[in-house]
Amino acid sequence: MEFIAQGFSQALTLLLSGDRETWSAIEVSMRLTFLSMLASLLLGLPLGILLGTRTFPGKAWVRVAVDTCLALPTVVVGLLVYALISRQGPLGSLNLLFTVRGMAIGQTFLALPIVVALTASALESADPRMLLTLQTLGTPPGKMVFAILREVRYAVLAAAVTAYGRVVAEVGVSMMLGGNIKWHTRTITTAITLETGKGEFSTGIALGIVLLFISFALNGALSLFRRRSAS
Amino acid sequence: MSAPVYRLENLQVRYKDRLVLDVEHLEIGEGSILGLEGPNGSGKSTLLRVLAFLETPSSGSLHFMGSPAESCDLLALRRQVTLLLQDPYLLRTSVFENIAYGLKVRGIREGLKDRVFHSLELVGLSPASFAGRPWKSLSGGEARRVALASRLALRTPVLLLDEPTAGVDAGSAVLLKSAALKAREEWGATLVVVSHDMAWMSQVADRLLAFQEGRPGRYVVQNRFEGPWFEQEGGLVSMKIGDGQSIVATKPPSPGRTGFLDAEDITVAVLKPQGLSTRNAVRVRILQLSLENGSGAVLLKGACGDRILTARLTRSSAAELGLVPGSEAWFLFKASAFQWE
Repeated sequence: MEFIAQGFSQALTLLLSGDRETWSAIEVSMRLTFLSMLASLLLGLPLGILLGTRTFPGKAWVRVAVDTCLALPTVVVGLLVYALISRQGPLGSLNLLFTVRGMAIGQTFLALPIVVALTASALESADPRMLLTLQTLGTPPGKMVFAILREVRYAVLAAAVTAYGRVVAEVGVSMMLGGNIKWHTRTITTAITLETGKGEFSTGIALGIVLLFISFALNGALSLFRRRSAS
Repeated sequence: MSAPVYRLENLQVRYKDRLVLDVEHLEIGEGSILGLEGPNGSGKSTLLRVLAFLETPSSGSLHFMGSPAESCDLLALRRQVTLLLQDPYLLRTSVFENIAYGLKVRGIREGLKDRVFHSLELVGLSPASFAGRPWKSLSGGEARRVALASRLALRTPVLLLDEPTAGVDAGSAVLLKSAALKAREEWGATLVVVSHDMAWMSQVADRLLAFQEGRPGRYVVQNRFEGPWFEQEGGLVSMKIGDGQSIVATKPPSPGRTGFLDAEDITVAVLKPQGLSTRNAVRVRILQLSLENGSGAVLLKGACGDRILTARLTRSSAAELGLVPGSEAWFLFKASAFQWE
């Protein structure tokens, strides 16, 4: 048990002394999740609004498909995107394999269903008078999406935080598409996997602490924001 | 003569196979107040949504200010009309932003604050203490008034109100009613109002339409008598109506039916007449006399116990009778005057 306690104290030293390897993994993780979240929000919010407010033939099946994608195993996504972006794949010429951008594509597939499904649910359960009110007050179609998003902003933020939680903590996609290359594609989670395998608990614990802190900070901010606007 | 604000011809709205609105012909003149009345689900709210361009009719034609609605830009149409929903929805922001929203999306920045504050004053809310309040902190009546203020601020040529006073406290109801009328006073707005507040409607509306199963009909003030009725001899049924009095009617199709008695079918007398052919003579205490808009007739409300009956008289006969609130009178009507639901 002693090595765990030791790990904690060494972790703090690593973090506070600005250990380059540790901080590089943190930086890659931040860059990667920023990209994948940006893509999934830009694509997912309009899709979620469409799914949550419009009726079209086959909508129920689209809903089932999106809900199924919520449980996509990360390794399956990793495998499919690997096939897509590897040298023989259709996007092979773009040289995305083992890059942060390539990893971000994979993570977008993980986060997108969450953003779409939770946004659609938020709108389906939103007050039916909301849309009528926005229309009768003269909202132009071009501003409707923003007006709706502003009305359901807490649900959308919760969707984003949930999606972020999924991408920041996953290993499969990052490992398969990034290759865990030091200084380049090594993220917090792939580093933890590697360090644990090597018996280097302190680095693993240091990175684990950072991961927990990110999650805590995000959820804390969301909760504060909610409480402030509820008062 | 200028074109009416709205002209509807053979307009129908269907949900799947169900016909929910069927208007053969309806014109609404500029600056007029049209009252809509009728039971729930009779198509009034659907008509309001059609008039607000929030719902497209399944068939028929709808002209707005002389042009067919389908050939106009939808946003431009919607911006000339605004609808206050029954139990309105407030945007999840402050009172000020709620009222300013419609102005902002129209690109109006100049004099924004003045317009918001003026609208708050119209609905009887002090701008100083209400403008900064969040939507959540309002009572039901206050929320309704803020919602109306956000419509009044837009100064649209048409204002549609769906049950503006249902379920709010008496004080708020008075303020809501007078604020709605200011839209006509201040900028000549055309109003279409759905309301069960018949005393108010008969005073302010130029015309009243009674809806029944999606169709508007001629408006008749009716008294309702809900069953059960009790069988009597001679093919009659009777019902106790309070104050120890009872009425009789010719036999309905079944004793549980609701009977309707047109206000016009009631004759009013000051003294109990003798030797009349009418079977019913009900002693009432007069509560209210009001002028029915459009027709010029007088509506006379009389109480019999807890029940209030309405009779419709010409102005000259009302003047001859010399009735004032508080006086006693007799309402006379035939047993055969009832219509059954």
